[in-house]
Amino acid sequence: MNLPRLRLDPLTRKKLQRFRSIRRGYVSFLILATAVVLSLAAELLVNSRALVVRHEGRWHFPTYGRIHTGKEFGLDYAYEVNYRELRRKFAADPAGKNWVLLPPVPYNPLENCHPGETFRPRPPDWARQNFLGTDQINRDILARLVYGFRNALVFAAAFLVLTYVVGIGLGCLMGYFGGWFDLLVQRLIEIWSNIPFLFVVIIVASIVPAGIGMNLGVLLAIVVLFSWTGMTYYMRSATYREKARDYVHAAQVLGASTPRILFRHILPNVLSTIVTFIPFTIASSISALTALDFLGFGLPPPTPSWGELLRQGTSNLQSPWIVASAFSALVLVLVLVTFIGEAIREAFDPKKFTLYQ
Amino acid sequence: MDTPAAPAPLLQLENVQMHFPVREGLFLRSQRSCRAVDGVSLQLRAGETLGLVGESGCGKSTLGKCIVRLHQPTAGRILFAGTDLATLGQTALKPWRRHLQMVFQDPVESLNARHTVGEIVAEPFVIHGEGDARERRERVLGLLDKVGLPAAAADRYPFEFSGGQRQRIGIARALALRPRLLVCDEPVSALDVSIQSQVLNLLLDLQRELGLSYLFIAHNLAVVKHVSDRIAIMYLGRIVELAPADELYASPRHPYTRALLSAIPRPDPRGTRERIVLQGDVPSPINPPAGCPFHPRCPHATDRCRVEAPALRPAPGHADHTVSCHLDL
Repeated sequence: MNLPRLRLDPLTRKKLQRFRSIRRGYVSFLILATAVVLSLAAELLVNSRALVVRHEGRWHFPTYGRIHTGKEFGLDYAYEVNYRELRRKFAADPAGKNWVLLPPVPYNPLENCHPGETFRPRPPDWARQNFLGTDQINRDILARLVYGFRNALVFAAAFLVLTYVVGIGLGCLMGYFGGWFDLLVQRLIEIWSNIPFLFVVIIVASIVPAGIGMNLGVLLAIVVLFSWTGMTYYMRSATYREKARDYVHAAQVLGASTPRILFRHILPNVLSTIVTFIPFTIASSISALTALDFLGFGLPPPTPSWGELLRQGTSNLQSPWIVASAFSALVLVLVLVTFIGEAIREAFDPKKFTLYQ
Repeated sequence: MDTPAAPAPLLQLENVQMHFPVREGLFLRSQRSCRAVDGVSLQLRAGETLGLVGESGCGKSTLGKCIVRLHQPTAGRILFAGTDLATLGQTALKPWRRHLQMVFQDPVESLNARHTVGEIVAEPFVIHGEGDARERRERVLGLLDKVGLPAAAADRYPFEFSGGQRQRIGIARALALRPRLLVCDEPVSALDVSIQSQVLNLLLDLQRELGLSYLFIAHNLAVVKHVSDRIAIMYLGRIVELAPADELYASPRHPYTRALLSAIPRPDPRGTRERIVLQGDVPSPINPPAGCPFHPRCPHATDRCRVEAPALRPAPGHADHTVSCHLDL
């Protein structure tokens, strides 16, 4: 397997090769990558809307299209079609050429799977395609797991980008300019990182105007606000180290501008070690989001989330399938991410590439 | 730039000082300073090679870095073709950068491992906005050829080359902007002995071809003798002796120079040569001794040496030979 047109410097290529040769990490990476890709296409796999409807000789693809009302398919209501019902109706019609293709899990994460019945957790029921059962208000657990995973991924990705941009940027400037700027920002960071994070979340959650609500953006902003500091420590010292090296001096003697030295010279030499932090940052951001949701300070209901499932599960221990699903999913993802992180760390270990002459 | 007019030196240092503040204590206030370069004056003529010799920590690299303005000197003037570079800001300095370039000691450190050789050598053109991509490429290949590297080298990475080849890459980069002065900071001391002479000869060939001036910093007197027209000996941030190369080797005046010269290994089976072994260590530049900086180690020190710092003065009978010593040795 080679990527001939992708221009990577040979050192990076060697590191990727080493990463691939570490079985456990590489397999974990493949599994997680598949899960991420599948979760991005979750609408096609877990959805109450049909993938394909064949009706009176015409094709319909309701997944990403407009909302179809019941009347369009010969039902007696003018709101959105219940495709599971439509499937039963088409199947019951002996002469019918009409058919419906539903996703493997024909429920969306917000709907009541047992309309009109009492709210109570129901165990897995493969005949009804509730593969992991339902939660305490009759929602499909697998659907909530999948969409919750996607939310967590979006959160983790945004968290990663934002904290790294702020942390790397500021840390780099501190290390490069040093002196009073460095001293001042360091002290500010120390003060800032001593503000108790959870209290701030609780306070903000209580004062955020109802119109905005505690949405993903607000939550992300708060968490990022208190998490970017860790990266500055690392970047600061790494930049201090790099800027004293002769290749930086050579660029300075040539008259290179400060941004050029930072972005073309110092950053590329520091970034390869930062890559090793990424999996651990993702793991910690997923667990942070889950913890906040578990405590009830996270995403507002009815957003599907693992923390919320865990909370339901722990308060309904007589229905163990809830807590078991959420717990297994969380552990699985965190273990995979940790395996990947370990493999990357080993593959990028600079000791393996330093030549002593 | 026009050709240098009459006798004006290309580079003239006037009392250059580089004192680094020593920050200590709770509030990192600096009460003391490290006098790495403590009042150096010298001249460098166009096309000349000036060797700068001294032991580790005497400030010779710091002086070199002041000249290419990696450091801003604390005091003094650095006149390059008549312009004082010592006080210029980075923006005002940029057009002058092309005339003064530097070759670094360790080519492993001085070449960015993440860039190809082509990118490294083309960087001067990019920074100074010269040429388009194709023109730069052509000039890079020309430079590589000039330093004796094949064109194929441009697409490879520094670690694929040997030490000598890497130093050639560093030289190609330094030459890209056609500088008039090259500060060579121990350019061969990190190389194998077998490679050293190749690189030195390359530097000499380039000097002849391009009319370069060199400030050649080294701690190895044999290497310096091979390349230099004049040699300056540095001790504890000051120049103690400055003379034409042959003259310096033939009749050293300063006791420190004599000790240095006596340390050059020479095939001498009879062992008749007297070896001067200095007592003690180099004093700390944070706390230099009063009077002549060399007096604690000098075998000839008098009471006057302990009190009064000697100025650089012409040696009797030699206008070109200056020495900073109270005694006429």
